[in-house]
Amino acid sequence: MEKDRREFEEFYAAARDHCLHVVLLSVGDRHLADDLVAEAFTRAWASWRKVRGHPAPRAWVVRTALNTHVSWWRRRRREVTLGSQDDAVAAGQHPGLDSSLVTALRRLPARQREVIVLRLLLDLDTATTAKTLGIPSGTVASHLHRGLAALRRDIPALDYQERIR
Amino acid sequence: MNDTKLADAVKIGLTEACDSLSTVHLDMPASEIMARGDEARRRRRMGALAGSGGLAAVAVAVGLALPAGHPAASHPAAGHPAAGPGARLAAWTVTRQAEGTIQITMFGDLRDPAALQRALRADGVPASVTFIGQQNPACRVIPGPVLNGKPQRPAALDRVVPVPPHKVPKPAHEKVTSQDVIDMVIRPSALPSGDGLQIAVMRGIPQGPAGPWPYPKGSGDPVSEVSLVAASPQCTGTGFTGT
Repeated sequence: MEKDRREFEEFYAAARDHCLHVVLLSVGDRHLADDLVAEAFTRAWASWRKVRGHPAPRAWVVRTALNTHVSWWRRRRREVTLGSQDDAVAAGQHPGLDSSLVTALRRLPARQREVIVLRLLLDLDTATTAKTLGIPSGTVASHLHRGLAALRRDIPALDYQERIR
Repeated sequence: MNDTKLADAVKIGLTEACDSLSTVHLDMPASEIMARGDEARRRRRMGALAGSGGLAAVAVAVGLALPAGHPAASHPAAGHPAAGPGARLAAWTVTRQAEGTIQITMFGDLRDPAALQRALRADGVPASVTFIGQQNPACRVIPGPVLNGKPQRPAALDRVVPVPPHKVPKPAHEKVTSQDVIDMVIRPSALPSGDGLQIAVMRGIPQGPAGPWPYPKGSGDPVSEVSLVAASPQCTGTGFTGT
């Protein structure tokens, strides 16, 4: 048990900020991202023996946080009256949160967003992404293709940026 | 541009955005995360043992046990001062600790939640205290995230009520067991600005052999519940915005 605690503490110290940044990019709200990532790490510790054997524990945490967000948002849409200001995006303080690419990422359907985050931001291969999301590899490729196509439509400048590199 | 080149461009753009957040940190210490995880695991185990699906689901419950030996207070001494070394009332105490936390210990059947509410407010905690099911309609609860359809405690609430009740050290002057009391530690300084606490306690906590924390045996109901609420004069009193 002591070994487990040490392992988790090391994992948490190494991964917590990175996971927070990735989730913050995806949800755009600092306090919400804090809550989601803390909750995901809590669940990671509660199931540590399973999580530590996962091929990408950080991805497990990020996926859990984003899944929690989906459930939270569905419930909140039902419970909170229109006009709430709770979701104020912390743009301004962090210009990266307000980039057209990040904004377009947030507009993607949840599964496409998850695939892009795991494949491109966490640098997972297709097989590990598939295992993390519990979907077939072919479905990962399909979501990635559709997500990229949506981003291309949203941000024509992406083509230009690639051409000038 | 094909998908590979586009993926490269997106990857570079997202990585740069991520790097721009280098000053953003998750502040919660590992010990707190692990304490919450331990608690979740313990509830899950108890849920499996009790065979009660509701046991693990209600993550907002903070409270404890059945009063096995302490008689209910018939006349709560609401006039006692709440601040200072510790106001010992007939059914509960409110004690301000040296580090600024507030400890509530309930020894039996709470008869006068308004008195406990006054004591907490006097100690700087914007609180609404009621019986379960009679929560103040003026209070707007701040919901936590939902995981797999189950409501979770907001992380901010865990910072305000940081220690699982069963781990709260008992007051040295009280010879009680953890089966006999409801213990709760509140850290007012961790309250988000503009937020307060809603504490609801079961009316007439049943006597009898202690059941699994924090639910009366077999009932599936929490003995007490704590929620974050938006502070307001009508809900939590005035004059506190968090520190």
